[in-house]
Amino acid sequence: MKQIAAPKGWAQLLLTPPATPWAALRSVLAAGPAATMQTLIDAGLRGRGGGGFLTGEKWRITATSDAEVKYAVANGYESDPAVFTNRLLLEKNAQAVVEGLAAAALAVGAREAFIAVRAEYTEAIRALEAIVHNAERDGVLGANVLGSGRELYMSVRPLQGSSMIGEETVLLKALAGKRGQPEQTPPYPSTVGYLGKPTVVNNVATLAAVTWIISNGAAAFKQIGDPAEPGTALVQISGSLTNAGVMEVPTGTPLAEIAAAAGGPAKGATIKALLIGGPSGGFVPANLLASTPYSGGGLATVGAHIGSGALLAIDQSVAIPELAAMLTRWCADEACGKTIPCRIGTRRLAEIGQRFVDGLAGPQDVQKLHALAADVADSALCAHERLTPSPLLTGMRYFEREFVPAGVAAEKSGAVVGRSE
Amino acid sequence: MAGLMERPSGNLAPSESAVTSEGLATQQAAESQALEQLLSTRSPQRPQRTPTFYVEIDGKQLEAFEGQTILEVCRANGIEVPTLCYDPKLPGFGACRMCVVDVEGCDAPLISCSAKAEPATVIATQTDRLREIRRTNLELIFSDHNAYCLPPCQNKCPSHIDIPGFLKANAESQFRESARIFKRTIPFPSILGRVCPAPCEDHCRRDEVDEAIAIRDSHRYAGDQVLKSMWDENIDPPLPFELQPKTGKRVAVIGSGPAGASAAFYLLVAGHDVTIFEKDPEPGGMLRYGIPQYRLPKIEVLDGEYQSITRLGGRFECGKMLGRDFTTADLKAQGYDAVIVAIGCYDTNDLGIPGEEAEGVIDGLDYLHTAALGLEYPNHEGSRVVVVGGGYTSMDCARTSIRLGAKEVTLVYRRDMKDMPAADEVHEMIEEGARAIFQAGPTRVIVDEKNRVTGLEFIRMQLGAPDASGRRRPEPAPGTEFIIECDRILKAIGQGPDMTWATIGADGVSATKNGRLKADAVTFQTGRDGVFGCGDVRNGATTVVASIADGRRCAYAADAYLQGLDLGEIRNRQTLAEPQPEFLSIVPFTGETKEPRLRLKALHADERKHDYIQYEIPYSKAEVMAESTRCLQCTCEAIGFCDLRRLGIEYGTTLKTLEKDHQNGAGFRSITENRWTGANHDYVRDDSHAFILREPSRCIDCGRCANVCAEVVGAACYDFMRTGFDTLVTTPLDMSLNESPCVSCGRCAETCPTGALMPKPRLLTKYEVDESRCILCGICVDACPYDALRSGFDFELAHTDRSEPMIDLIALAKIERTSEATFIRGESNWENTVAGRRHDPARALPVLPSNLRGK
Repeated sequence: MKQIAAPKGWAQLLLTPPATPWAALRSVLAAGPAATMQTLIDAGLRGRGGGGFLTGEKWRITATSDAEVKYAVANGYESDPAVFTNRLLLEKNAQAVVEGLAAAALAVGAREAFIAVRAEYTEAIRALEAIVHNAERDGVLGANVLGSGRELYMSVRPLQGSSMIGEETVLLKALAGKRGQPEQTPPYPSTVGYLGKPTVVNNVATLAAVTWIISNGAAAFKQIGDPAEPGTALVQISGSLTNAGVMEVPTGTPLAEIAAAAGGPAKGATIKALLIGGPSGGFVPANLLASTPYSGGGLATVGAHIGSGALLAIDQSVAIPELAAMLTRWCADEACGKTIPCRIGTRRLAEIGQRFVDGLAGPQDVQKLHALAADVADSALCAHERLTPSPLLTGMRYFEREFVPAGVAAEKSGAVVGRSE
Repeated sequence: MAGLMERPSGNLAPSESAVTSEGLATQQAAESQALEQLLSTRSPQRPQRTPTFYVEIDGKQLEAFEGQTILEVCRANGIEVPTLCYDPKLPGFGACRMCVVDVEGCDAPLISCSAKAEPATVIATQTDRLREIRRTNLELIFSDHNAYCLPPCQNKCPSHIDIPGFLKANAESQFRESARIFKRTIPFPSILGRVCPAPCEDHCRRDEVDEAIAIRDSHRYAGDQVLKSMWDENIDPPLPFELQPKTGKRVAVIGSGPAGASAAFYLLVAGHDVTIFEKDPEPGGMLRYGIPQYRLPKIEVLDGEYQSITRLGGRFECGKMLGRDFTTADLKAQGYDAVIVAIGCYDTNDLGIPGEEAEGVIDGLDYLHTAALGLEYPNHEGSRVVVVGGGYTSMDCARTSIRLGAKEVTLVYRRDMKDMPAADEVHEMIEEGARAIFQAGPTRVIVDEKNRVTGLEFIRMQLGAPDASGRRRPEPAPGTEFIIECDRILKAIGQGPDMTWATIGADGVSATKNGRLKADAVTFQTGRDGVFGCGDVRNGATTVVASIADGRRCAYAADAYLQGLDLGEIRNRQTLAEPQPEFLSIVPFTGETKEPRLRLKALHADERKHDYIQYEIPYSKAEVMAESTRCLQCTCEAIGFCDLRRLGIEYGTTLKTLEKDHQNGAGFRSITENRWTGANHDYVRDDSHAFILREPSRCIDCGRCANVCAEVVGAACYDFMRTGFDTLVTTPLDMSLNESPCVSCGRCAETCPTGALMPKPRLLTKYEVDESRCILCGICVDACPYDALRSGFDFELAHTDRSEPMIDLIALAKIERTSEATFIRGESNWENTVAGRRHDPARALPVLPSNLRGK
């Protein structure tokens, strides 16, 4: 687990603890909720969990909800087992996350806040618990937050189980001690969340950015990265690149530049594609890397998404159908089993994909895969099933030659058909 | 105490002056004031009316209340949106994704059970895209639905008899009940028990274990018991349904064969007045004059079975022939409200060869008719007879000829023996001394100078490509002619109806180009209002069972007509009421003990061939019970109640189950085969609980039972277990419900949309309450899903408020029950706990997916 040093000139704001602890919280208390939320809206901060909703607006919905009890939750449950951006963030900069969550709770009027963390992240949990404990001891949190008369109790909640817990409605159910299954949205958790009360749920990276914005100002933040979705993102780099690890990347950086910053292709490898977004991410072929920016909007145009923040470089030895089928099967196995298109449909997608790997695909299978993917996505309950078809769909879009039905002679073009040897 | 019993001294107390009108008005005003006060103080915060607004659904402006979901608005206005996981008692769950609707302005379809209706939205519930999504969802469910609906025998029976039902009654020696079940679809169990070709037995799934069940012989026994008690003790045969009060409508049924008699029977049960016209001297049609005595005894069986019509008030008018003695118009003029034409097929097809008009070429049906009347063809004894044809009529002709003393009987059929419609009977004919020649067709009749038959020339047939019936088409092989010398030729190559009557005073009634009566396949209406047609006259010559099925359906259509119902709607209802043959799959039966079929014994051929006595020896009571017990009862208990099946039919998600050449000729297609066929689960049935039967293979994981049990009952026995494709709604650790906090309320079975949770059939019919021990806790009242138990007046003496829960059901359930921890430690031997009896461990063990079970 290591951090890759970013090239000079790339803004780095998430992994460095704030210079003066609790300075941001003091500013929030001084400025009041409305001004804090306006600052975030001015900064253009958007959720990092994939939703892309303006964080300030999200808080405002919870803040204006008519309920006596509200909650604030930090989502540090990293679903993708091959990604540790949240872990690195929590271990290196738990202070900013706790401060951001406190700011969120105070802004929306919550008296209780939770930090949900994977139970395996023991070091992160220890760091968070130390900060929360000390803050309560010092009167920063607790019955009288920094002498303001406001109440805020915070607790660290280690969770474990399925990867679905990363989804926010699932996370809230897991916190309430129920089986992790998503709920239909709307209503969003902003109005009906933990125990049915309005709940603001933010990713830990978003909360760390909140702390930075309050300390450094909205204007400074707006300067960084893609103007439509400013800020930085923690990217988990792996695969056939020279360096592997977490890199903090300003949004909007072209994928080719990220790959170059990670040291370029590993020795002897030629990059064929990048898989962006984790197990339910999309393949971006080599020829689109220079023109595709690392941003929600930019990735959506090529069929990928920021997702878990994973960036996997794939070289020529990998067969796209094999990888795509394996990823789809992983997603199908991780499904919570609530809805039929997800429980059976994603499994059937994986089975059809596997037929391409085994050379058993029928002539109808390409069309079947598209039809099923569309039907699953259109009747989806949560992002998991909506995005699960992505590897197969993007694989077929960009590497059509590798998806060959049985009996059709593979073109001698060097493409790895079906299964890699 | 006295103070409590006194009336309050406020405005409500009647004053002495209440008798005067002024006093009365004052009192009323006071009462209404008190009422107003009561109403306003009870719920001051609740607005008297929920705000309403309008939404547009499927082009209609509909009123909706604030807070209503789109689904609730649809349901309230009679718009059908399919759901599988929705339970009106609970908030929308959104698991089945069937209730998707299109809302204008939304990118993706919305889930109507959770989405709130908003003012001025435009909603569509039935677009092509939505239907496609729903269809995909259903297909996905079916691809992992390792279960079946109807047993194949019931599918294959033309009349769809409840075969597992009557076999079960047989096995319990409830023969009268067995006959009653049979009579629901066919009124004559004894007749069919003798003459039915039993298409059901060809598809019996007991065949996968050892041999098919003798279904026909089993209902024969039950029917005979009913006949016996009728003849011996004059007990009326059982009625399939409750006899309806007289309607005063009169129906004329023309023809007293299987179709006519069946139509008459069901019309009589429906309360109509029925008269049956018959051209022959006795009723029965082909049953009497086509089928010989040795197969169907006329007095004991045929007359006996027909008494079920006369005992209901049906009248036979024999010797009256349609077209000769009366017309349909005459009947209408005589005041009959409906006429059913069921005259059958009596015109034997011609051979179409030279010399056919020679003396000695006889119509096979005429021959049987004459024999049945007890008359004889002159000089028949010692003659040489050739029978042409391969159906049951040709068998009857050949075997009757033997009994009438023919010296030599030869049956010639143009196809192979296995393609013969009467293939199951041919060996009996050969045993009795007839000769059979296959793959030969007649070419010309050889006659002497007096135009009398002396022989018949045949040509050998070779078998060509299969035709529409799947049998190979016979083609003449040139140069292979041969001659069989004979004195008599019996034609038995099929029959058609005589439609000459249709032109006489029968305006509107017409024939098809095949020369059959033109009548609708579902409403049975002919061209003339109130005239229906059914049976062979509509279908061409078929089997007895198919004619009876036709007659029954025709009776329902005629009944609907007489009630003045819309026959177009009847078309839908009939189509839904008849089981659809598309639903079945093959679930292997592995654990069954092998018990071969009990075959009927028969008299030796030498004993029977000179006699018309019935040669088969029926079952004894012990035999029929043993044979019926062999039935695997492979039917789904939820049939008729299953939402999945209904939606599957509606959305056309199923495929034909029998397709030629499918899977290298295996032919069967299972329910799980569709676009998305893949891995599927096969779970083990759990019948350890006394009231609730769990069949997890039928579960579609909608979660209704889990939600109802947790939210309404409070016991929380079920939840989603495991993840991904292997997710199943079941008890923790798949334990028996006996180990869970189950209160046996049955709400889970009530809400289950399929047959995964079923109320278990029980023999116990009455409960006794020991009132000396009852603590009036009221849990039974709360738990009863059918409101069979209620709080009576005595409960009003209780001082506690029942609206506040007094007893925590979960806490109660924990008492003296195995907890999860003790269960894991093995403190309770849960295999033995059910009523102290030893359970089959294979059945009581946790249900595991088949792919996990081996590990």
